[in-house]
Amino acid sequence: MDLSIIEKDQYNIGHICTRLQCKRGLADKRAMRFVDAHGNRTDYSFADLERESSCFANILSGFGFVPQDIFFTFLPRMPEQFFAFLGALKAQVICGTMFSNFGEDALLDRLLDSGAKGIITKKSLLRKITRIKHQLPALQYVIVVDGDDLDGEGVYSLKTLVAKTSAEFDAPLTPSGAPSVLHYTSGSTGKPKGVLHQHGSILSQSMTSTAVLGLKPNDIFWCTADQGWVTGTSYGIIGPWCLGVSQVQYGGGYDARAWMRLLEEEQVNVWYSAPTALRMLMREDHEIFENADLSGLRHIFSVGEPLNPEVIHWGRSLLQHDIHDTWFQTETGAIMISNRPGVEIRPGSMGIPVPGMEAAIVGDGGELLPDGELGNLCLKPGWPSMFITYLNNDEIYRQKFRNGWYQTGDTAKRDRDGYFWFMGRSDDVINTAGHLISPFEVESALLEIEEVAESGVIGAPDELLFEKVIAFVNLHKRFTPNTDLELKIRLRVSNKLSSTATPQEIIFCNSIPKNKSGKIMRRVLKARYMGEDPGDTSTMEI
Amino acid sequence: MTTKETLNDIFMMVFDDDTIQITPEMTANDIDGWDSLSHINLITSVEATFAIRFTQKELLSLKSIGDLLKIIENKIL
Repeated sequence: MDLSIIEKDQYNIGHICTRLQCKRGLADKRAMRFVDAHGNRTDYSFADLERESSCFANILSGFGFVPQDIFFTFLPRMPEQFFAFLGALKAQVICGTMFSNFGEDALLDRLLDSGAKGIITKKSLLRKITRIKHQLPALQYVIVVDGDDLDGEGVYSLKTLVAKTSAEFDAPLTPSGAPSVLHYTSGSTGKPKGVLHQHGSILSQSMTSTAVLGLKPNDIFWCTADQGWVTGTSYGIIGPWCLGVSQVQYGGGYDARAWMRLLEEEQVNVWYSAPTALRMLMREDHEIFENADLSGLRHIFSVGEPLNPEVIHWGRSLLQHDIHDTWFQTETGAIMISNRPGVEIRPGSMGIPVPGMEAAIVGDGGELLPDGELGNLCLKPGWPSMFITYLNNDEIYRQKFRNGWYQTGDTAKRDRDGYFWFMGRSDDVINTAGHLISPFEVESALLEIEEVAESGVIGAPDELLFEKVIAFVNLHKRFTPNTDLELKIRLRVSNKLSSTATPQEIIFCNSIPKNKSGKIMRRVLKARYMGEDPGDTSTMEI
Repeated sequence: MTTKETLNDIFMMVFDDDTIQITPEMTANDIDGWDSLSHINLITSVEATFAIRFTQKELLSLKSIGDLLKIIENKIL
């Protein structure tokens, strides 16, 4: 653990990523080069981060936020995302982050469950919030980065607030256990759960940033993850900045040529991306990579879904680099298992546990399974970035710990050399392009459509996305399937939940298999989709 | 209603934002939420609304809203 970042028991993430770096003599060092979607570059020093985040901390304090109040960011990648995140943490306000492609149902679930008191967003996204605000009595402050004050509606212009707010803020002494970051994650049943972390998580994030990502003080680091993901906060903000490492942040979307240009022109040393993005790159013209000068690049890492061996071979062939897979979850807060540099890569494996972590394959009865046997991937609890609860759901949190192990919900095997191999999920959660999608949430959104009588949602293997969302839909008798209805279903899910939750295929059927207690038998749907034997259907309601 | 106005309505519906005002120069970088998955929704909506079908080559050539408008107008002439 890199305890050198902790001075006088000050664990405040916002403070460590900004003020402490300035105190270490890095005030003028570039902390972030923000490259917008059109290629315009703006540099921010650690002194800029300190000033902007302190100003934001004062804005929240001025509104009356107190420690453990909850604030959300709902922004595409833009500098204000970082200022607000660090500013909220400085004031000991819990900061949640949400993807900017979330629809109003996804927003409502998170804002309502958390009782969030404030949110920062953009004018183009504001309407999604105003539509649901009447259902959110706790939500008093909506800050808009590019809009004006809307008197009487609790909407405030960030520019106006900044102009009248001090940029001096001393973060209160913050203990390791103080709540910090909130990410919602999907399960196979019920609404998304709020995974709450603590300021002390910075110890795991700093340690893994050096021990796994191999970050060095003068590196340029680029993490492509959106801040809605735990990767986007743990390694797109906290890990590199607590070590004084300079980052590139790109405001555009996927674009192979732009990405290669960025790696080349910004002389990125360490690049952290995701399998779906890498698989998309694999499909591009080879000349894009053959002509790229990646001489500055030292390491490439991947996270989010299992990294298939083909991608590793492609990286070696076209990028002349190994691609190192890393594995962690929202709940773990930091990388737990990896094929890290210096350790032999086993293509297709998750790698070995990071220093200090103990992982095991555990049977359903709590017994440790021998090498080569399929079982539940478990971690020995107690690492600094371990989540501290599911917000408002402590019972479910406690259920994640059994027989002295944290149950990850993934199934895996360990080989005789200690490498772990991901085999699947022990639940129905769908991992599409690194986003965990709850079938229950998609089914609920589908049931809100007038024509839909019942639905069942599954994940199916996909070459690009790892898994794709497949919806089986049974219509009310008076309706018949047609392309307009299919489009309506797609748009409804996209606008209510998110574009990533949108079914890639919609299969109209006459019934959804359920067991006698009414539970959707997704296993049967999946077998039907895959053309496989559904197995025991004796409990199925006919 | 002009083709551009109809297309604007489709953008507002697909991206759930009634403040969108499209221009020919705009690209996916100018509209929040225009990612590869919502792009499928957009194309499907355009095809359904204008009763047209895009070829793979046309889809690959799309760089801006102006490109999209041109292809639509050529098809509905």
